[in-house]
Amino acid sequence: MRKYLYIYKATLLEKLQYIMNIVLGFISFFVMLFIFVNLWNYIYADSTQLISGYSRTQMIWYVIITETLWFGTRTSTLTNQVSQDIKSGTIAYGMNKPYNYMYFVIAKHFGEITFQFFLFLIAGAVVGVLFLGGLPGFNWMYLPFYIPVFFLGILINSLIRLLISIFSFWIEDSGPFHWIYNKLIIVVGTLFPVEIFPFWLQPIIRISPIFVVTYGPAKLVIDFSIEKLFKVLTAQTAYLVGLVCLLAFFYQRGVKKVNVNGG
Amino acid sequence: MLMEARNQLKVILLSVKYNIMREMTNRTTFVTNIFFMILNNSTFIVQWLILFRLKNNVGGYAFDEVMTLWGFGASTFGIAHIFFRKAFELPDLIINGKLDAFLVQPKSVLLGVITSATSTSAIGDVIYGYIILVVFNFSIRNLCFFTLFTITGGIILTAFAVITGSLSFWLVRADILSNNLMNVMVSVSTYPDGIFKGIVRLLLYTVIPTGFAVYLPVRLMVRFRLDLLLGVLGFTAAICSLAGLIFYKGLKRYASSSLMSARI
Repeated sequence: MRKYLYIYKATLLEKLQYIMNIVLGFISFFVMLFIFVNLWNYIYADSTQLISGYSRTQMIWYVIITETLWFGTRTSTLTNQVSQDIKSGTIAYGMNKPYNYMYFVIAKHFGEITFQFFLFLIAGAVVGVLFLGGLPGFNWMYLPFYIPVFFLGILINSLIRLLISIFSFWIEDSGPFHWIYNKLIIVVGTLFPVEIFPFWLQPIIRISPIFVVTYGPAKLVIDFSIEKLFKVLTAQTAYLVGLVCLLAFFYQRGVKKVNVNGG
Repeated sequence: MLMEARNQLKVILLSVKYNIMREMTNRTTFVTNIFFMILNNSTFIVQWLILFRLKNNVGGYAFDEVMTLWGFGASTFGIAHIFFRKAFELPDLIINGKLDAFLVQPKSVLLGVITSATSTSAIGDVIYGYIILVVFNFSIRNLCFFTLFTITGGIILTAFAVITGSLSFWLVRADILSNNLMNVMVSVSTYPDGIFKGIVRLLLYTVIPTGFAVYLPVRLMVRFRLDLLLGVLGFTAAICSLAGLIFYKGLKRYASSSLMSARI
């Protein structure tokens, strides 16, 4: 475990050298938030209207939180780099090192996103306060509950991305599968809470990754209850166990397909 | 002059032809990329179906019009990335001194650079645009307009990429800035301009030229106006000239990194 913590720390320190790169990335983030704020302002006839139980303020805060989760955790390590390592055979160098390649990649990814996520969290909160003037019902007392839910949500999202990239052992380019997963999260998971979808679709979304990656964490911030917390944490634990098993299974099978031709 | 333009066009088409042939070496990946891009774009239909369940018009657009807007957004992005993909990677070429190989060619440096690669998945974007047109707004007139404005929109998007990408001749980290500005242009092009007000709306017709690339063409398809058509065509010509001017001005500042490379 110590070696992975060291990898995490080394990457985190390296990323701290490039804060300006993260700050320049705020442009896209602010524009997307601006679009969604305008869109929901247009959809809501007035500030007292409720849509699927959400006020305008709650809906926009929901989008800000999910967009923060989306923008704050984006790197190419779990997608492009892993796929490229597998395609080019570079993964052979990672396999014979005294660490597990998958844990190495996860530790590196978390090192890259830790600071980035906090910066986006602050930027999102500033936008929310400026446009909406705070979130009614938000209580700092619940902060200790938010931390594990957000952490598990980000971890599960990372493991799903890694699992998709590992398919490069069998298909040359896993990129298109990343597109579909990304769109699932962006379209269904960030813009709308589950309750807004037709009733017949809601159970399907509740068992999809959206529930544990974006909806669960954002919903708890918007409208906290112990019952919801328990539901989200249970679902996240089940996802985590399932994904770790799937990753171990596919990785072990995948590495047997690696052919190295010297060089 | 005309002969030169014809020759240049021939070179562009040949370049794209060979790029696509190279991409087709692995046919499964080629077809998968195209198919998944169509599927990828289709997911946004869900978003709009949900929004139109809540309100019967968004920003003054009906569902069919928003779909046409999406069709334009996808097909202009597609055309630009099929023919001029490297325009979107210009900062990398400038920063890493990869322009050397193009400087010794007899034809236009700018066109040589930006037509030197093709994105396979962008073919899926163009196909998606036409599928949307056929499903939601088909007529022979609309087909002609859609094709014309897909070309002008693709050229505007490319010119904008050249302008923002050329900032790397002068500025450090202009690559991130350019990337973000391109994201802004593509992101706003898929939402009706009616949801934006005041100065933002003005910006969409000036600094971020989404208005001329997508919004005006959709309006022209709904209701034809000659002045708007001339406006779109005139703006396309103007932004192309500006892109060429800025690129060649910047090129004078270009310093090779002595990178050894060959174009095969």
